[in-house]
Amino acid sequence: MKMGSSLSSSVVAYGIAIIAISTSTIHGLESKRYASLARSNMAFAVPPSRRQQQVHSSSFSPSSLCMSAEVVPPGTTSNVKTSDDDGKTWWKEYKFKDADFFEKVRQEFPILSIKVGGDGSNDGAEEEESMKELIYLDSAATSHKPLYVTDALTSYYNKINSNVHRGAHSLSRLATSKYEKARDSIAKFVNAYSRNEIVFTSGATESLNLVASSYARSKLTKGDEIIITEMEHHSNIVPWQIVAQQTGATLKYVPLNVETGEFDIETLDSLLTSNTKIVSFQHVSNVLGTINPVSDIVTLVRSKASPDCKIVLDACQSVPHMPVNVQELGVDFLAASGHKMCGPTGIGFLWAHENTLNDMPPYMGGGEMIDDVEMEKSTYAPSPARFEAGTPAIAQSIGLGAAVDYLMNIGMDRIHAYEKELAYYLRRRLCEVDGVKVLGPNEDVPTAALVSFVCDYVHASDLSTFLDMEGVAVRAGHHCCQPLHKAVGHSHSARASLYIYNNKEDIDKFIEHLQDTLSFFGSLEGDNDGDGSDEEFVPFI
Amino acid sequence: MLASATSRTVAKSAASAARARLAAASTIPQRRSYHENIVEHYENPRNVGSLNKNDNDVGTGLVGAPACGDVMKLQIRVNDDGTIAESKFKTFGCGSAIASSSVATEWIKGKSVDEVLAIKNTDIAQHLKLPPVKLHCSMLAEDAIRAAVGDWKEKQKKKGEKAAA
Repeated sequence: MKMGSSLSSSVVAYGIAIIAISTSTIHGLESKRYASLARSNMAFAVPPSRRQQQVHSSSFSPSSLCMSAEVVPPGTTSNVKTSDDDGKTWWKEYKFKDADFFEKVRQEFPILSIKVGGDGSNDGAEEEESMKELIYLDSAATSHKPLYVTDALTSYYNKINSNVHRGAHSLSRLATSKYEKARDSIAKFVNAYSRNEIVFTSGATESLNLVASSYARSKLTKGDEIIITEMEHHSNIVPWQIVAQQTGATLKYVPLNVETGEFDIETLDSLLTSNTKIVSFQHVSNVLGTINPVSDIVTLVRSKASPDCKIVLDACQSVPHMPVNVQELGVDFLAASGHKMCGPTGIGFLWAHENTLNDMPPYMGGGEMIDDVEMEKSTYAPSPARFEAGTPAIAQSIGLGAAVDYLMNIGMDRIHAYEKELAYYLRRRLCEVDGVKVLGPNEDVPTAALVSFVCDYVHASDLSTFLDMEGVAVRAGHHCCQPLHKAVGHSHSARASLYIYNNKEDIDKFIEHLQDTLSFFGSLEGDNDGDGSDEEFVPFI
Repeated sequence: MLASATSRTVAKSAASAARARLAAASTIPQRRSYHENIVEHYENPRNVGSLNKNDNDVGTGLVGAPACGDVMKLQIRVNDDGTIAESKFKTFGCGSAIASSSVATEWIKGKSVDEVLAIKNTDIAQHLKLPPVKLHCSMLAEDAIRAAVGDWKEKQKKKGEKAAA
């Protein structure tokens, strides 16, 4: 029986995994073992919780949540050698503390060994040679996936594939078990109180729309106020605009502090009234890298807004990169996307308190989210089923569960520490490039490992094209933050964003090719002073 | 970059100077760059400037691609016989966008307003050897031509209606 043989092979593989785990170091599984875990197709046979006990030594600690004001440049004392000249080559000898471990992590991402850039202008071998190694600096747009996750997806479709919930046969029960295990993993990942607080969605955009459409639209009326910020991603602006139109509520914006690139908490203070019913903001800015002071904002909102004000957190750029503990953060809703944290596309989640969710009307209607259906009316299931109408994205949910297990296995504290090093190094090197203006906070303010920048004499789109010619993938445009770009006075920017599979070499090559590009454009003649002398000609449409 | 109409002399040797620089740049091993056609139009854009958009014989096309932050304004002055007497452009965008709109203004001069509608973005892209990721810039130039012609035709229609009334 096929089922029987796959079960027995799982048992054998489980045995191998146990042996493998018992020989692991306290600092995490070696990538060889990851590879063997993946190859033996027992992605589900090892209960993730067991690995976590081995590796994930610290439970979520509040101190790791918000960046402390004091920045200790990592790798300072022993690693940095000042050179004999004016210190401009400080970076050559610089080494990240955890570089060796993350070099091994890098091996687990197959896509990093591809070559890019052939434009078909050459033939055969010449074309091959003209392709460049991929240097991927666009993880804020989407992250790459480790073999562990892609194997989980393939394994699901090849060995488990079946519709979940209420299935009458073994395969369906297995699929359901894996699907709900993924929900458990995510609940643990954000330290939710219960699994019923995790609703699977197609991503953060749907999560935010769900809150806007289901919660806000049913609760808000004329005179109520919604506060968002100028730095938001469009998915955390447009749904609120729609709700405001539909309910008559007022939409207010906390402006960006353009000087510091940070959240203007004083203005928030002045905007809060007893009519404020929703406050929604990003944890980490996907353009500036600014890490917003969630605890301070929550405290302020609780003291001044309406008692039933809900705080919504867009955690897209924080959840993949640092420990996020919903019980400590104190927000009411949290939205995140799977594809930004090594998970598949088309999946994300919404976290909220169970009571809140059960108090909300459905978002979509259909199967699964009902209790009883009659012709005249239906009753609805409790959360999370209430918001998961139809056949779920089963494979993707399992893939996200695998991604979250993968990240927890490395340890979010460890990832955060490494990314702080990446962020420091990237920002410092970029600030030293002549002609480049880095958007966002100053060098001494802790930020995420992403940075947007502009250049006086080179269009961001030219920067990204020329970098692409050397295999460096960055993003150019408004990064879905048009109001933010308007506030900083540049219609578009280039953005480099990093993740666990990036290393010092990636940043060095990026800076080198950026400098080459800037020299090239700098050497061109032509009247490109960009004085914008034509008043009628407005570069914003 | 904003290609504006401030004073600038178009040196005859600028073209060859650009080519020399490009050649120098490509001696860096495997250093790819924009084709010299793009660089030429980027350094020495043709027909930069403005026409009075309120003139009756002027058609103005303003097109933008907010996603990449490019904006093109292309204007035409049309003779009584429907041929394009002169054309001006202003572009805020990348090198490919500037080059595409510069080429567009060159190509449409002397042609009739209907002839220019046959200009395809692929012709512009091929002439400039645009990299694949920049094809949309040539599309923007094609859109700008159509918008300018459309605007002029709209004006003529309104003029005709006024005369009839």
